[in-house]
Amino acid sequence: MDTITRRDDQPTPLAVLEAARRELADETVRGRGGRMAVERYAGRVDALLQRLCAEAPAAARPVAIAALGGYGRRHLCLYSDIDVLVLFDGAIGPDDERFLRAFLHPLWDLGLVVGHQVRELADFERIEIDNPEFLLALADARPIAGERSLFDRFAVMFRRWETHAFLLESLKQLIDERHAKFEDTFYQLEPDVKDAPGALRDLTAMRTIARITHPTMLDPGAADRARLDDAEDFLFRVRSILHLEGRRNHNVLGHDLQEKAAHTLGYPGAEPQQRVERLMGDYFRHARVVSRSLDWVRRTAPTPVGANLVRSRDGIGFIDKQHAAAHPESWLAVFHVAIDRGSPVADEALAWIQQHVNSYAAEDFFPSPSASAALIGFLKPRAGLYARLSEMHDCGLLGRMFPEFQAISCRVIRDFYHKYTVDEHTLLTIRNLERLEAPSTPSRARFGSLLADLEAPELLVLSLLFHDVGKWRDDEHTPESVRMARQVLERLDAVPESREIVEFLIRTHLRMSTAAFRRDTEDPETVKQLATLVGTEERLKMLCLMTLVDVGAVSPETLTPWREELLWQLYVDTYNHLTLGYGDELIDRNQSGLADLLAGRPPELSESEITRFLEGLPRRYLQLFSRDAIYGHVRLSRDIHPDEVHVSLEQKGALWELTVVTLDKPFLFSNICGVLSSFAMDILRGHALTNPNGLVLDIFQFTDEERFFTLNPDGTEQFLHDLSEVVSGRSDISARLRARERGVLHRRGVPRFAPTIHADNQASRRYTILDIIANNRLGLLHRISRVISRHGCDVDLVLISTEGEKAIDVFHITKDGVKLTGAAQLELTADLQRMLEGSDEVD
Amino acid sequence: MKLIKSIIRPNKVDEVKDALAKLNIAGMTVTEVRGHGKQKGHTAIYRGKEYNVSLLPKMELEVVVQDEIVDEAIKAIIQAARTGEIGDGRVFVIPVSHTYRIRTGEQDAL
Repeated sequence: MDTITRRDDQPTPLAVLEAARRELADETVRGRGGRMAVERYAGRVDALLQRLCAEAPAAARPVAIAALGGYGRRHLCLYSDIDVLVLFDGAIGPDDERFLRAFLHPLWDLGLVVGHQVRELADFERIEIDNPEFLLALADARPIAGERSLFDRFAVMFRRWETHAFLLESLKQLIDERHAKFEDTFYQLEPDVKDAPGALRDLTAMRTIARITHPTMLDPGAADRARLDDAEDFLFRVRSILHLEGRRNHNVLGHDLQEKAAHTLGYPGAEPQQRVERLMGDYFRHARVVSRSLDWVRRTAPTPVGANLVRSRDGIGFIDKQHAAAHPESWLAVFHVAIDRGSPVADEALAWIQQHVNSYAAEDFFPSPSASAALIGFLKPRAGLYARLSEMHDCGLLGRMFPEFQAISCRVIRDFYHKYTVDEHTLLTIRNLERLEAPSTPSRARFGSLLADLEAPELLVLSLLFHDVGKWRDDEHTPESVRMARQVLERLDAVPESREIVEFLIRTHLRMSTAAFRRDTEDPETVKQLATLVGTEERLKMLCLMTLVDVGAVSPETLTPWREELLWQLYVDTYNHLTLGYGDELIDRNQSGLADLLAGRPPELSESEITRFLEGLPRRYLQLFSRDAIYGHVRLSRDIHPDEVHVSLEQKGALWELTVVTLDKPFLFSNICGVLSSFAMDILRGHALTNPNGLVLDIFQFTDEERFFTLNPDGTEQFLHDLSEVVSGRSDISARLRARERGVLHRRGVPRFAPTIHADNQASRRYTILDIIANNRLGLLHRISRVISRHGCDVDLVLISTEGEKAIDVFHITKDGVKLTGAAQLELTADLQRMLEGSDEVD
Repeated sequence: MKLIKSIIRPNKVDEVKDALAKLNIAGMTVTEVRGHGKQKGHTAIYRGKEYNVSLLPKMELEVVVQDEIVDEAIKAIIQAARTGEIGDGRVFVIPVSHTYRIRTGEQDAL
């Protein structure tokens, strides 16, 4: 008590506590130590703690005091522990420790049993899964003193669905363990009114489960709720007597105290025996209500599965509907989680959305970039997407989010071959796409592999969703679909690359079916036209899949195996045209698209500078790269001299992109790949191009496997310096790579599949094509290109791609300016085969 | 009467139909088929791997015509379906002894 300064105008803390205890004791002896009495006592203790907190010397940083567990619920009996959380906003220093001592010591001096937890706010960034009892106590945390805003921040961090899911499971386990100590029966003749089955802890557990999963689940049937309240009040009245009589935190209603309790609570009866029997009869009736209710809550309580989301037997639904009502941008998460969990959306949630959806406009669903990104993520094709989109459509959400889609709701086009309304046809295209994830036939599996290859399959779904919206009008629908999709992309604030892909797919969605089913697919001109249209393998794959699923959604009979075969052959021929023959078609002065590129150039780039750079590069270059990227390449090519290397290194999401411009020389490509490998960079995609003047443009997309750039502040400088040294010939990469390669080769194990090399002198007029498929591994490109260079060949063009563990690299090579002879081809492929099979991996 | 069975390129169906329509031949059966003749398919390469495309998608058109216009019909089909390249297809002419209209049981009514 010495630490508390006594003031004249207020009683000492001890006097305050004694008065509060006296008040509760008086109520208890009158048989009224029930819920209201213990709550009042908790309020008195709150005031005491607030006073001690205010009188303690100030902490150096904001601090908040919160009541935990039973005290947090205001269920404080005479000798209950006082559980508190002392929360600091930052690392605890000496001033904060002084505050702690000044706050806690008086409590101990008062003889209170204090269970204190001292934490920094940052401690709650992760769940403490090794201490579920503490987490449960936190679930009842209630601010009593200090900074309220700090407590609110804690509450936001703690009340996450992941925490709630963990709490639910932990609580169920703790209940089982506790009940096991009582042989799982509440019929205890000397019951523990706190811990026994059917006693106070079960009531608390039941309410906790309801609060974090379904707040209103205890509401139905007012009688039940009233009976639970009665049971709780009864149990507290008994517990208060036990504390008072035992003068400690004693909770067992033993035979010795049953007479006293029966008397205090006023049970009638001539003999103590009769009064006790009536008391205990009441106890078991209350315990049965609690026990049965807890069983029901455990059986029916949904599981937390997301922010404000639970999974019940009916499906996914909201926990707090009021909160959801104010946040329409959160509704999509119901459907997203339903897909992730392989569950439907609960009928109740669908009905609720249907009831509220018309209160919002399209913009309200995407108020932030994260909401737009969530939609794009949601559209990733996978099992359940069609079903959930159909639910969204049925409850009006899809149409409200996208009035463009609403325009084709129940739209009938009477053309005698479409078997469904336009909206259902559209959704069926998405179903057909998601089914490619688990294809039903080998023939369909081929298309499934294309889907697995796509970098952004969600953009294909977005395109499908709007490809026919223009059919709300009676005339040509495609331009209208493009116009309407553009509105959607504008609202979603989609990045230019995504917009371009979606608009392209919608604009051309009928072109591949026309070519496959109405043109001569064996005519090279048909293939060439399609290749020119798509420009890149990625777009070809997307358009091919779009065609497949669109035709398949016309009617069950439309997509015959025969049509599938035609489409696949056209795809293969076009793919080969794009990857094998593209080096034959070079940019010339009259190239289409060149005028636009020149007209839109930045002021510092001259026409002649751009045309000089482009002339002689493959035409596909103009389709592979955006205008801005091309202007960037032109800038990099300025004033380049032999042995110089101009480089740009940029992080693009999870990938890094390296662009290298230099002048050609032997082993150049191999050396660049070698530098990337020496830093453990995994090359995923890329292009290597050479123009007739010997200007080399190499673009690599790679992942930083060992987080070199993240962990080393000067990592990018070091990398660029090494690259420059190696390309200029001042440093030899092979020696440096050897040790790393040996380590990697040693660790790598057996290749998953046999490498294949296909050499072709027919596909291109100018080049020998090497098509190489091998296990992707560190240094692969370096080793392949080193072997090619050792054979005296020039690497003129390279297409680099990776699909899972499979590296797919297409090299366009020449020797002394011409294609390789048959004998040279054989020697080269034999050497490459040996290297890829591991018998000649390190020089 | 003759049954003219034509195996043609898929993209030539509309042209052949139009050519036959000019001869007032309207009834026909069109079937998606796969097969090979002299063309015997070919070897395709996809991602460095070779695979055989032995059965090529074709269309089969069947029409039954009176003997008097058989030659004219065959000529029309060949003209419409020809590209001059391997894989243009084949025309088979098969005698038909009788035809029956199922609805009425009527014989030889084209």
